[in-house]
This record gives sequence, structure tokens and C-alpha cells, in this order.
Amino acid sequence: MMSMILAPFRLMGLLLGATVGNAPRHPWKTLGLASAVVCGLVVWGLMSTLQTLPVNSVQLGFRGTGVIEQYNVHKADQLLAANTPDAQYAPVAPAGKPASAVYKNIQVLKTVDANEFLRLMAAMAQWVQPQAGCAYCHAVVNMASDAVYTKEVARHMLLMTQYINENWRSHVGAAGVTCGTCHRGQGAPKYVWQFTPPPGGYHGYAETQSGEDAPSSAADESALPYDPYSPFLLNSAPIRVQGYTALPSGNRMSIEQTNWTYSLMMNFAHSLGVGCNYCHNSRAFSVWDQSTPNRVRAWYGIQMVRALNRNFMEPITNLFPRGQRGLSGDVAKISCETCHQKAYAPYYGAHVVAAYPELTHSTNGSPPATQTMAVPKGAPFVLPTMTKASSIQPIAGPKEASLSVPVSSGSVAQPVGATP
Amino acid sequence: MFDYRTQFGTQYQNIFNRIQVRGPSDPGAPLKGDLEANRVGKPFHSYLLGLIGAAQVGPFYLGTCGILSIVCGFIAFEIIGLNMLASVNWNVWQFIRLLPWLGLEPPAPAYGLSLTVPLAHGGWWLMAGAFLTASIIFWWFRVYLRARDLGLGTHVAWAFAAAIWLYLVCGFIRPLLLGDWGEGVPFGIFPHLDWTASLSIRDGNLYYDPFHMLSIVFLYGSTLLFAMHGGTILATSRYWGERELELVTDRGTAAERGAIFWRWTMGFNATFESIHRWAWWFAVLCPLTGGIGILLSGTVVDNWYLWGVKHGLAPVYPAVYPYIADPATHLKSILK
Amino acid sequence: MAMMNFEYKYRIRGGTLIGGDLFDFWFGPFYVGFFGVTTMFFTLIGTALIVYAAAIGPTWNLWQINIPPPDLKYGLGFAPMRSGGLWQWITFCALGAFVSWDLRMIEIARKLGMGLHTPIAFACAIAAYFSLEVIRPVLLGAWGNGFPYGIISHLDWVSNVGYQHLDFHYNPAHMIAVTFFFTTTFLLSMHGGVILSALNPGGDEPVKPSGYEDSFFRDLIVYSVGPLGIHRLGWFCAMNAGLWSAVCIVISGPFWTHGWPQWWGWWLNLPIWG
Repeated sequence: MMSMILAPFRLMGLLLGATVGNAPRHPWKTLGLASAVVCGLVVWGLMSTLQTLPVNSVQLGFRGTGVIEQYNVHKADQLLAANTPDAQYAPVAPAGKPASAVYKNIQVLKTVDANEFLRLMAAMAQWVQPQAGCAYCHAVVNMASDAVYTKEVARHMLLMTQYINENWRSHVGAAGVTCGTCHRGQGAPKYVWQFTPPPGGYHGYAETQSGEDAPSSAADESALPYDPYSPFLLNSAPIRVQGYTALPSGNRMSIEQTNWTYSLMMNFAHSLGVGCNYCHNSRAFSVWDQSTPNRVRAWYGIQMVRALNRNFMEPITNLFPRGQRGLSGDVAKISCETCHQKAYAPYYGAHVVAAYPELTHSTNGSPPATQTMAVPKGAPFVLPTMTKASSIQPIAGPKEASLSVPVSSGSVAQPVGATP
Repeated sequence: MFDYRTQFGTQYQNIFNRIQVRGPSDPGAPLKGDLEANRVGKPFHSYLLGLIGAAQVGPFYLGTCGILSIVCGFIAFEIIGLNMLASVNWNVWQFIRLLPWLGLEPPAPAYGLSLTVPLAHGGWWLMAGAFLTASIIFWWFRVYLRARDLGLGTHVAWAFAAAIWLYLVCGFIRPLLLGDWGEGVPFGIFPHLDWTASLSIRDGNLYYDPFHMLSIVFLYGSTLLFAMHGGTILATSRYWGERELELVTDRGTAAERGAIFWRWTMGFNATFESIHRWAWWFAVLCPLTGGIGILLSGTVVDNWYLWGVKHGLAPVYPAVYPYIADPATHLKSILK
Repeated sequence: MAMMNFEYKYRIRGGTLIGGDLFDFWFGPFYVGFFGVTTMFFTLIGTALIVYAAAIGPTWNLWQINIPPPDLKYGLGFAPMRSGGLWQWITFCALGAFVSWDLRMIEIARKLGMGLHTPIAFACAIAAYFSLEVIRPVLLGAWGNGFPYGIISHLDWVSNVGYQHLDFHYNPAHMIAVTFFFTTTFLLSMHGGVILSALNPGGDEPVKPSGYEDSFFRDLIVYSVGPLGIHRLGWFCAMNAGLWSAVCIVISGPFWTHGWPQWWGWWLNLPIWG
């Protein structure tokens, strides 16, 4: 026992003193013991940073290519519990009159049936701020009043939700989004981003911040650039870095540019709780036909998030009090994680908007939407299971589309692994 | 009873020295000319080092090249370290915490090959790189000259030159060919790993680069060779197998057994000299081919995967999904 | 020549692990032994299976030949021959051949009165292969997690498994393994170089004795580990390169499913930073 306690000190003595004179007769036995104890502690410490079995593997590519997703079952259980949508409010009988005919100062939900309007208001309180309830947005003495700034914010957010569900089925599919998709019962959604001043500071002639080389929470704690959001999810900096020809033919992208793209891709993977292989076969990241259909869906997601940040978030910057904004006065903005919250599909693909059809199209008095969404009942929450090639639906081209105007309809691939 | 000691000869595995005999320190082999004065420091013995190898530490040869190399290396080290320290606001505790992440980055690509990059935007990187390169070159001359002074061949110096080749390709020659310092390797633990990963991604998967393949083959091959060679010498250390130089000129039973062991095992054996030729070439070819592989990336070949497809390297895997088109070009074609 | 001129006196019977005198003879320069026979058995079957798998595949292009493991849906069970079964039997034969070869090395070492350092080192390499193709797939619950047999296809597997963890360079065990690989190669170049330089000093210089190895490296870097020590060091580093490679891949998936950069969070969040 004594020799075990003394062993580390003796080891240090040997390292420092280093002469044979007073070395113990068989010091290598003590050394062996000390080394074993130290190694044991280190191994035990490192093991405690890792996960425990079991792991659920999902194959997303041809066998043997390593295009596989690994989900730790303990972590998946926690994520499943955290990503269960709120219970839906029971359907109500229609009042037969639109909300704008019954209530004052209705601007967004004008054409919604008055009873359904109340049902949605109750659901919104649950989604956004259950503790404060109606008072979070309304001056309770006069519900029609616009005195509370969050009410005007809520109008814009309702417009955004309708815009997403109506125009971005290429990304959100039939599942759709509600306020709860981002808010999850919190007034301010948990996973948003704002401009971050660089850590540290500027010091005379020292190298000023290069935008990287610090733990990047956006990029999975790597040393890659820590703000991949601004260039790619607000502005439209080019993401693609690989050339399309074997030999040089004008591709000027640099390694530095690749670091930024890599950071963005890590952010996507981190936000969805997946690896690169969820979308890519890494033998050829840029080649679409080597990728999984998820990559197409993600591509629309990038376009969608850019549109949302530019057309909905930035314009309402001034609605927020200073304290709600970032250090440089900017509004909180959207990234993949805002909705996904570490699930490969928000709420693991549950069709959350099905029970609230008024969120699927414009309701502010413009001509009513002609198309209605055929959405199935709430999907069961399943862990991703083995993918069969036959279960992947072909990707049809969107019917109306442009690069800046989002796609309005068209069938999309099912999220791989989810059973609709 | 099964006695593992007799069965497996554990008395002869020779993992470390159980007895250390101490005589006077070895002052070092005689040199050509009067260069003894260059050896500095009084030798001492370390018990711990003596457990696995020689116990004697020192003396040390400094020399002009050595002094210059150490000074230049120190300057480079300080430039890198102080810039990292500045990036965490001179907070030593945070410096330790964030050290693996901290880095000194090359200039942004927009600066091209300018030598007057502002210090704060990559100038320090250029300077650190220049001093580190000078340090390495001085050190190379030191290795070369000392071998000559001792009356030895210069094989170690040329092996070192192979490593310098890889270093220069990554940090100097390739950036030069591509026209901007920004292609160079940042200093820092994680940052240089990010560079490695991004280089491979940018250039379309370095695994399809045949010179990268060769480099890895020689890296693994070197490890295999050292396991085989080290194992053979240790296994024949009962017969003084470690006295390789003597056994080359006067073959003893250790050399015979070592040779026969491999002959019986795989039908072929090297000699006590030729195994070191295998070793030297494998170790040298690892950075040599690796440097070629990096040099070609982005300069001669832009996308190694597509290069592999072009030359029939890439296997075709059965399709798991229907054809997937690039949505960006897909949309463009619809608009037309 | 099947035998070197000094070889005759070493060719004696005995030292076998099992079977007594069974197969205790030489074939040309090769020692046969019981495990030589089992090596040949597994090698012939395994190679025949590889050739057969290539023959029923789409190509004879050496770079493109691919013998992949089964789909994950087969779990740890047997897969049909054309759907991964061949891979399973090739893996079985490979392990049989590797282990036989290692045991044969032990027998040869015993015959020659040598230590067991080479078979021990080879066992580390086998352990790395065993970890990749057996331990990790078993921990993950499906043979489909093994790597395929093919020159480029196994590289594609390595690439994708790396990117399952976003950036494999951040895997601490991978860092240690790579460091050992580089260190071993570095040591090998120095050791090979110094031996060649002492034996080939050029000009009229005489060949130098062992003491010059120490003098050269003490002069250069203060310390020379010595003619015996360098082989211990190289042997130790080479084995560790293999062992840490095995560790780095076994923890990837079974014990860590996230990106490896994220693993470093524990360090960032240690309570000592205040």
C-alpha cells in the first residue's frame, strides 16, 4: 500500500534525480506499479468521456461503403423524448364566420374561422410561452391592442410559418412547421444565432482574428471558422469548393474557403445529430449522384433559411427591444438547428401542421390558396430503421421554381429512415 | 505443469535493462581535425533512460549551425506562441485551455504572394515560416557536417532532406505554384489538422491521389519494417544481435539466426546491412512520395476523385437511389 | 539454393507448439510445421474465394474489384454468398491464416532460440485487423460495419467512416496512432541512416564500429538511446501504432457516435478553468 502511494513520487524523483546511486534495488517494479496506476486512471478518465453501448446503425448507401449513420441508443432516447410535439388541441366546430368579422384588429388570420382562430391562439400560447399565456403578446385588458411588441412580432412569425408551409414543401415536406417547431415552449427559441464578436481581442501588431482557431460551437467545437452563419445562411457566399473536372479548369476556391464550407457542413451535421454520410458519400462530396436524397432536401433548406433570415428576421430587427438583440444590435436569426434541434427531422418527422390547416397558406385576405395539403395523421415516432432502396421515393422536379423565389409545390423525397 | 517461462522463454524477451553497469562517460568518437572543443556539457547518467537504452546523456555538439538553428527556431517558436497568447488576451490559463485550438494563420488568399502582408493579417505567419525554415536548413547542415567530421556517410542528412522536401512542398512550393501564401499550413495543433482535411476536400479526396497511396504504403511499410527489424534484433539480443555494425563485418550467430528466421518464415531474408537499406528507402520514400502527392494537388490535378474516374480507378457501386440531379442546375434548366 | 551455407546446423527438429514431429520439416527455404499447413489451408481457400468473388463481380480491373460485407440487415448472422457471405468466409480464412502464420513464427523462433518479439509484434497487427473486421462489427451488431476488400473500395470505406465523425483527425486515439506511425518512420530513417553511414562512409574512410552510433546522435541531439535501445524504441512504437489504430476505430461508433471535435468538450468544460 505504502509503495503504491509513494510510487508516483519515486517516479518523479527518478525523472528528476536520475542517478543510480540511491536508486532502489528493483525500482522497475515500483515503476511498473506507478505506471499501471497512472495509466489506469487516465484510461478510466478517458472512458468516462465516451458513450456506452448499444448503438443503432442505419445504412444509407451500398453495403461496404461506410455510408452509415450511427445512433447511440441512450442519446437517441433522450432526443426522442425532447423532440415529441405537444398534444394537439381537439378540433372545434366551425363558427361559420371569419375571425375578422368577430374580433377587432385582425391582420394576419382574417379569413380563419372564428372558433378555429381561438383554438390556434390557445395552441400558440402553449407553443411559445405557456407560463405567460395570452399575456405574453396581448395587453389582457384590451386583447385588440398592439401595446405589447411581441404581438407584432407574432404577426410576422405567423406570416413566416404560412410562407414556409405553403412555399417550402421541398424542404419541410408534408410534416410542415408550427410555432412550436422552433419555440418548444420558450419565448425565444433556444437555437438561434447572432453576430459574434471574435473571442479575445485586438492586440497591437499581433495577428487579428482570422475567424477561426478557437473552439467553434457552431462547428462541433472544432477549430474551424466560428461564424459559418453570416456568409452562408444570411448572405449567399459560394459553398461549393470542389471542381467539376479532373484537371484544373478555373476552380479558384482555396483551402481557406474550404475551411468555411467545412464549418458550415459541420454545423448542419451537428444541428441534425448526423454525420456527413447522412447526405454525402465522402468519396466525392460534390457529386450529386453519389449523394443520398437527403442532400437535395438540405439544399432547399439552405435556400429556405437564407430567405427566412433576409425576408422575415432582418426586417423586424427594430421591433425587438435592444436587450433582445445581439451585441451588434442584430436580430436573432435562423439556422438548421433552430427547427431541427439535433433531430434529423424536426420532431422526427411528425406531421405537426396537419391539425392546424390555417398555418399552411396565407389567411390575410388575399385570394385563398387553391391547393390544400393532403397530410396524413400524425406520424408515429420511430427510430430510423434500415433503409430499403425501394422505400426511397424518386425526386420529381418542382413544378414552378426559380433560384430566388422558392418552390411552391412538388413531391419530395421522404426523409430517409423515417416511415411516413 | 505448464511452465510458461520454459515454454515461451520469458527469461529472454529482453524488454528492458535489469542491470545497469556504470563506467566513465563516453566522451564521443574522435573527430577529424580539432573539433573536440565543439562538444559542450558534462555527460551525466539517467537511471530511467538506462532502463530502455543508453543511460548516458550528453555531451552535445553545438557549432555555428547549431547556434543559428536554435536561435532561428526559438524566434519562430516565440512568434507563434506569442500570437497565440495574444489571441486569448494574454490570459495564460486560457492559453493552456485553448492551446489545441489556437493557431497562427497564413495570409488570406487575396494577399497572393505579397511579402509585405500586414503583420496582423498573416505577416507573422510569413516571418515564423521564414525563421522555422532557416532553422531547419541550418540544422540540416549541422547533421551533414557532423557526419563528415565523424568520418561517417551522410545518409541521415539525406533522409532528413526528404522530410524537409515534404515540409517545403506544404508550406512554400505549393503555395508558390498556386500564387498565394494562403494555401500554406497554419501553425497550431487543430488548425493544421483542419488544413489537412480541407486540402483533401478541396482537391477532391486525397485517397485517390496515387502518390498519397504510395506515401501511406511507405508509412505503414516503415512501421512494419521496424516491427520486424526491431523484433529480430531484440529476439537475437541473447546473441548480441544489437551489435549490428560488428555483425555486418563479421557475421556471428545472431546475424545467422536473424537471417534464417525470416528465410524459414517467408522464404526470403535481408542481411544485417541490407535491412537498413530497406529501412532507409521506405522511410525516405514516405515523405518523398507524400510531397509529390501534395505538390500535384490543386496544381496539376484539381479533383482526385474525378481523376480516378477518368483513369478507371473508381469502383462503380450499384445504385441505391434513383438518379439524383443537382437541384441548382435542375432549376436553371426549368427556367430556360 | 534452398539452404544458405551456414544454415545446415540450425535445421534441427523440435520446438513445435503442438503435434510433436508432425509436419516438422522444410520445403525449400520455408519451414512447414503444423501451422504452415493450416496457413496454406486458409490461404488457398481464402484466395480462391477472393478470386471467385472477383469473377462473379462486374470487373477484373484491380483497382475496382470490390468484395463488400453484407447489408446491415443481416446483423451478425450468415449472409447469402453473393450478398456478403463471401466476405464473411474470406474474413474467417484471413484470420485463420494470420493466426496460423503467427503461431508458425513462434515455432521458428523457438527452434532458433530467439525471443518472441516478431510474433508478438505481428499479433498487434492481427489485433488491429481483428478489431476492424470482428470486434467493432460485433459491438455495432452487424458484419456490415466491416471494411470491404478492394483497393479503392476500402479507401472509400475509410473516408466515409471518418466523416461519420465529421473530422476523424480530432479522434484522440487516431492522433496517438498517427504520432506513433510518424515517430516509427522517423526513428527508422535515423537508425537505417546511421547504420548505412557507418558501413558506407565513402572514400577511403574505414567502416565504423558501434560506438559511432552513440557519438553521432549524442552530438546531434544530446542523447543516443543506443544500439539495443533503438530497437526497443522502434519495436515499441511500431506495435503502438497498430494498437492505437485499433483503439481509434473501435471507439468510433460503439463508444462515440458524434463528431470527434465535440469529444473535446470535456476538456473545455473542466472545472479548473474557472
